[in-house]
Amino acid sequence: MKREQWERLKTLFIGALDQPADTRHDWVSRQAGGDEMLAREAAALLLAHESADGFLETPPAIDPADLAGLEEPVGRMGSYEIEYEIDRGGMGIVYCARDVRLGRRVALKALPPVHDADPGLRERLRREARAAATISHPAVATVYALEEIDGRLFISSEFIEGHTLRSEIDLGPIEPARAVSIAADIARALCAAHDAGIVHRDLKPENVLITNGGAIKVVDFGIAQMTSSKTRLTRPGEAVGTPAYMAPEQLVGGIADVRSDVYALGIVLTEMLTGEHPLTPRRQGAPAAASEIARRCIQTDPKDRYQSAREMLEALEGELQNPSSGRAPAPVARATRSARWWWEFHQAVVALVYGAMVWPTWTARTVIGGREGNAVFVAVLAAAIVAVILRLHLWFTSRFYPEELGWARVRAMGWVLGSDAVFATALVFAGALIGDTWPALAVLEMAVGIGAASAFALVEPATTRAAFRRSERL
Amino acid sequence: MASGPDPKSLMPLVYDELRRIAAGYIRRERPGQTLQATALVNEAFVRLAAEKARPFANRTHFLAVAALSMRQILVQRARARKAAKRGGAPERVTLDEGLIVREAPSIDVLALDEALNRLALLDSELARIVELRYFGGLTVEETAEAVGSSPATVKRQWAMARAWLKRAMDSASDDSAD
Repeated sequence: MKREQWERLKTLFIGALDQPADTRHDWVSRQAGGDEMLAREAAALLLAHESADGFLETPPAIDPADLAGLEEPVGRMGSYEIEYEIDRGGMGIVYCARDVRLGRRVALKALPPVHDADPGLRERLRREARAAATISHPAVATVYALEEIDGRLFISSEFIEGHTLRSEIDLGPIEPARAVSIAADIARALCAAHDAGIVHRDLKPENVLITNGGAIKVVDFGIAQMTSSKTRLTRPGEAVGTPAYMAPEQLVGGIADVRSDVYALGIVLTEMLTGEHPLTPRRQGAPAAASEIARRCIQTDPKDRYQSAREMLEALEGELQNPSSGRAPAPVARATRSARWWWEFHQAVVALVYGAMVWPTWTARTVIGGREGNAVFVAVLAAAIVAVILRLHLWFTSRFYPEELGWARVRAMGWVLGSDAVFATALVFAGALIGDTWPALAVLEMAVGIGAASAFALVEPATTRAAFRRSERL
Repeated sequence: MASGPDPKSLMPLVYDELRRIAAGYIRRERPGQTLQATALVNEAFVRLAAEKARPFANRTHFLAVAALSMRQILVQRARARKAAKRGGAPERVTLDEGLIVREAPSIDVLALDEALNRLALLDSELARIVELRYFGGLTVEETAEAVGSSPATVKRQWAMARAWLKRAMDSASDDSAD
C-alpha cells in the first residue's frame, strides 16, 4: 500500500469511528467515492474493529523462569542460593548466588545444562578453576572452590560488582592517563599469571571488569593454558579464543605463549585510546607514547613485541610517570569533561555577543530610519532575547542539573536554530543598509553577522560533538 | 520524538532489574505460576525509581524502554520454545486432548511480532503505540505523553492499529490452516 493510500484509509477509518456504529459502513462507502479498493479496505478494517473486542486488552503473561533465563528451578544448589543469572555463553552460565554458610555473595560458573555431562567440558572447567586458583593477585578474581553438587560441576569465586571494560569503551575513547593506568593494572595481573605459568589466551574488554571501587579484575581463565602442562585440551592446529584479540600465531593454531597475551593487551589498549578496534579502518588520533606502546604489542612476529608482560608494564609505568614524553597533538586526548566545559563556554560567549549587539543595532536603526530600521532592530532584539534566555538556560542546566540537559537540549534546539538564523540575517541586512553613511558600524554589524553564522554552522556542531557522547547527541 | 538517552543503552539495566524481580518470585512463589508482564514492568520501575542515580528522565520514558525490552524478551522466549518443539523434545500430549474445548486462545506472540513489523512499515507511529500499550502496559494518557501527541489521537490510532493487526493475524492464521 502506498503512503497516500494508507493516509486516506486512516482518515476514513478514524472518521468512521466518530459516526454512530450502525451507520458506519454506509458512511464509509459514501465517503470513499468511487475508490473501490479504499472502500473495501476500510470496510474490512471496520469488521475487524467490531470483532476486536478484548483483542490485545489483556496484558501478556510471562513465566518468571523465562525472565530469569533459568531453564530449571535452580533456586538452590547445595549451600548456594542462586539469586539471578549474570551472563550466559556457549561455555558456561554465571550466576550471582549467596553462600549461606559464610553469608557472602559469590559468582558461580557452571556448564550449560545441556553440556553438563560432557567430560571434555567438565575437564576444561576444572582446569579453569585450577589455573585461576594458582594466581593470587588483587587484579585476578579469587577462586573460592570447585564444587560438585548433584552431579553439577561449578566454580565458586569472588563476586565482583561493577561493569566490563567493554561497556566503558562503548561510550567512546577513554582518557589516556586512565587508559594507560587500566592497561598497567591488566599487565600486573598478566605478570602474576605468567609467573604462575599460566597464559590467559582470551584477554579482551569483555573479560576485564572494573569494580564499583575502580579496581581492575581480569576474569575468565576458561581457555587458559598452563605452560608446564603436558596435556593440552586443544589439539595443535586448533585455534581457540576470540579472533579479534588473537595474536597471529594463535590464529594459525600455533602455540600461544606470554607474548600472545601481550598482543591482546596491545589491542585492548588501542581500543581504550581510540574507542575502536585497531583493525577498523577509521582510526582516530591517540597520544603518541601510549599508542607507540600499543603498536609495539601488536607486531605480527612475537620477537618484535615486548617479550613479557613485565617489560610492557615497565613501558606503561614510564608513560604514567612521564605522561608528556613524546605526546603528539591528540584530538581524543581531551576528557569529556573539559569538552563539556568548552561547550558551556561557547553557550555563555554566544549569549554575551547577542546581548552586546542590541545597542549597536539600536544606533543602526536610527541611521536606517523608517520601517526598515524598526524591522531590523525588532528582529535582532527578538532573536537576542530568545537566544540569550535559551543559551543561559542550557548553560545553567549543564552546570547545575546535568542529568536534565538531554531534555533541555531537545526542547530548545528548534528555537535556538531559528533565533540564530534570524539574528545573523538581520545583522548582515543592517550592515548592508548603513554601509554608505556609517561604514565602521556597518563593518561591525556585518562581521558579527557573518561570524555568528559561521559559528553556528561550524564551531557549535564541533563543540557539541566533542562535549556529548555518541548516545547523547541529537 | 526524542526521549532522553538512547533506549538501547538503558535496556541492560531494565533487563537486569526484571531478572532480579523474576528470581525473587521464583524463590518465593510456587513454580509454574505466570505473571502479568506489565505488572512486572511496573514493579521494575518502582524499584529503579527508588535508586539514587536513576538514568530515566521520568516514568513514561522508563516504560517506553521497558516496553521494548518486554517485546524482545517475549519474542525471544517464544522463538526458543518453537525451536525446542521442532528440535525434537516432544510435547507431552494427552490422549483426550482433542476432546478438550479450547479456551480463548492466547495471543501468538510471534505472529503479533511479525504483524507489528509489517504495520511499522506502513505506519511506525501506530506500531509504536501498540508496543507501548500492549507490551509496556501504558495507559492512553501515558502513551500520548511518550509519543508526544494527544490522548484523543492515541485512542483513535490504537483502535485503527488493533483492527489492522486483528485482520492481519486472522488472515495469516487462515493461510497457515489451509
